[in-house]
Amino acid sequence: MSAVDLKTFITGYLAEVEEHLRMAERNLLEAERVEAAGGSSARQVRALFRSMHTIKGLSAMVGVEPVVDLAHEMEAALRVADRSGTPLGGAVDLLVRGLRAVEARVRALASGEAVPPAPADLIDALAALGLDRLGAEVGDLGLPEDVRSRLGPGETQELAHGLARGRRAVRVDFVPNPSRAASGLNITAVRERLGRLGDLVKVIPMSVPRSPEAPVGLSFAVLMLTGAADAEIAEAAGMPLDAVSSLVGAQPAAAPAALPPPAEDEEEVELRGEVVRVPVARLDDVLDRLSVLVVSRSRIARAVAELASRGVDVGALSHVVQESTRHLRDLRAAIMRARMVSLAELLERVPLIVRGLSRTVGKEIKLDLDAGRAELDKAVGERLFPAVVHLVRNAVDHAIEPADERERAGKPRAGHIRVACHERGQSQLELQVIDDGRGIDQAALARRAGRDEPRDPEELLALLTEVGLSTRDQATTTSGRGVGMDIVKRVAVDQLGGELMVATERGRGTAFTIRVPLSLTIVDAFCFHSGERTYVVPMSMVDEIVELEPDRVHRPPALAGALVGLLDRRGEAIPVVDLEAWFARRPAGGGGRKAILVRRRGRPLAFTVDRMLGKQEVVVRPLEDPLVRVPGVSGTTDLGDGRPTLVLDFLALGGQVRAAQGGP
Amino acid sequence: MNTLYVLFSVAGTEYVLPAADVVQMESFSGATPVPGTAPFVAGLVQMRGKVVPVVDLRARFGLPAAEPTIDSRVVVVQVGERTVGLLVDSAREVIRLRLEDLESPPDIVAQDGAGFVSSVARAGQRLVMVIDPSKVVGEEQLDG
Repeated sequence: MSAVDLKTFITGYLAEVEEHLRMAERNLLEAERVEAAGGSSARQVRALFRSMHTIKGLSAMVGVEPVVDLAHEMEAALRVADRSGTPLGGAVDLLVRGLRAVEARVRALASGEAVPPAPADLIDALAALGLDRLGAEVGDLGLPEDVRSRLGPGETQELAHGLARGRRAVRVDFVPNPSRAASGLNITAVRERLGRLGDLVKVIPMSVPRSPEAPVGLSFAVLMLTGAADAEIAEAAGMPLDAVSSLVGAQPAAAPAALPPPAEDEEEVELRGEVVRVPVARLDDVLDRLSVLVVSRSRIARAVAELASRGVDVGALSHVVQESTRHLRDLRAAIMRARMVSLAELLERVPLIVRGLSRTVGKEIKLDLDAGRAELDKAVGERLFPAVVHLVRNAVDHAIEPADERERAGKPRAGHIRVACHERGQSQLELQVIDDGRGIDQAALARRAGRDEPRDPEELLALLTEVGLSTRDQATTTSGRGVGMDIVKRVAVDQLGGELMVATERGRGTAFTIRVPLSLTIVDAFCFHSGERTYVVPMSMVDEIVELEPDRVHRPPALAGALVGLLDRRGEAIPVVDLEAWFARRPAGGGGRKAILVRRRGRPLAFTVDRMLGKQEVVVRPLEDPLVRVPGVSGTTDLGDGRPTLVLDFLALGGQVRAAQGGP
Repeated sequence: MNTLYVLFSVAGTEYVLPAADVVQMESFSGATPVPGTAPFVAGLVQMRGKVVPVVDLRARFGLPAAEPTIDSRVVVVQVGERTVGLLVDSAREVIRLRLEDLESPPDIVAQDGAGFVSSVARAGQRLVMVIDPSKVVGEEQLDG
């Protein structure tokens, strides 16, 4: 997350945490009052619990660990009070101290100071309320210090949770030596074999004294969760039975028998009526497994086709393949539905962010939020949200004029910002951020950039989103264009394969429109060969596949770079780009006889391909690492050969080609 | 204090990486190139279902390119949340270095290595260069 994004998030975070802190204070005092009057504080305790739970979650997102620690202990104490119906009694003082400590840390964060760690005595005292008997007591798992210290907190938790859920947590020590290597047992093989018996949590290389058994003085401690028996595990690792040892969970501190048993695994799965909250990682895991099924289904289908081509009667077989195709598609749709989040939920923090911002800049803002009923994939939502926040922030900071100026212009004193969303067709979401502010001063913007004044909205957008320009002089408020527009474009266009548009009128306001796909994980795609490589392009991007008949491709003399001709298609002159030449893999002109035609903002562009390989459903994995995140490549997929195949984004590539040709 | 290092070679020079940073080592049978990346990025490989970018250390160190051989290895390192493969000519040994074996690199190495070499160490008869994996893979932030 870039610094700019983080700052925006922190603004929202501060506003929201502040609100929950106030609510918690109110409820805590109210609980004390009710209890003093001999009543039940159950309602207040529950509300308090929710506040602390929310604060914990938000703080974890922003990464303020001291607040997470404090909120966690308070939440844990309150959870049991809530379940057991015990009054808070003397615990109130401690909880007040806890709230103060949280507040102090949140303040430090707000003023950009270092956030002090949670006071150890307070954490101890909260924990000693003795109420949290689940999860928090991880204990040492029976591991020696040299192993335990190499585990991250997440890994320790994972092991402890596994144990709490009744799985076995074991440590297997694998010692590489020549005789094991000779029988194919190296750490890689052992990982793979153990991976089949359960979930590997961590593999830790350890130095051990050199011995005939361990000639390199190296051993690997494999920590895993499993249901398998020791003998099975030892066999898989090719080690004697005593190389396997069980980890032990913490003994619950004397829990009063009257306490109702805690719900299973409340840390991660929280039951709210009929709703189950599941970490996205688990759904991703399911999707990954599904993608393996999709791949093997394709391989079966190919094998069946091959049998058929040899004259084998495959009637029954191909019927089964077709059926499993349908079942996989249904299963995929069901998982995708589970990944959908409602847009209303995604945007519910926007009002708080606007409130915080409008206070900071001292402007009165009326926000209209119409999230509609759209749902979108969690992965899309996560990327989209910072972009929306950027747009809203710009509107508040820069577009909306101070109240007096507005009054002089005959506008209401309060600025108006409207965030509206609706679905376009089955697969696209349109989201608009509209303000009634001063509008963008295009002449001033062009002057500052040393460019000509933009002639149309597209040129204006290009100017606004130019990297560096939009972040250069942040103090400027007169142009009304704001900062970080390059980031908005990167998210909406480069990352999500969507569109970004702008419309503005001096004195009247500005509207930004973002169009993004509702989901992007599994797509129907064309596979094709180009320059001896296989690529995949989502079908949704493809307008059509055209034959490049030589007499229809014109080659004007001024062609440059990867542009190899103009295809005359029903009277439209379509630029043809040699894909491999564009990738700088070979000189232009060697491209194939077919081309994939895409339209970007209505304008067509054709990319040459050597050979079309057919349609296929593929699971797209986004490329996360900065080394390989390049425009034009939206991710990779596995076509069944165990190698990553690039998923190309022809719309983004088209944008690059146009930019290289000097057009927008 | 003894620490384990993975020893590997690139263009005839021996380097080491802290073993704690190494997730796995695999033989190399080609990567999927990604157009538009830095010249030292060999491409993508898939390892146990995970797609990992591979940095060609010959290119990264400004050394002449060479065809991969059966000895070529991808040393997969974990740098913070990132998992990146380093393509090296060979990697077989794990060695043990003491803290006092490590010395600051000579100026000329420090400059030429663009900070990749964090120290040099004498391991028996050999002089090895200790690589800082975070420098090699670049310090860009995820989602940056």
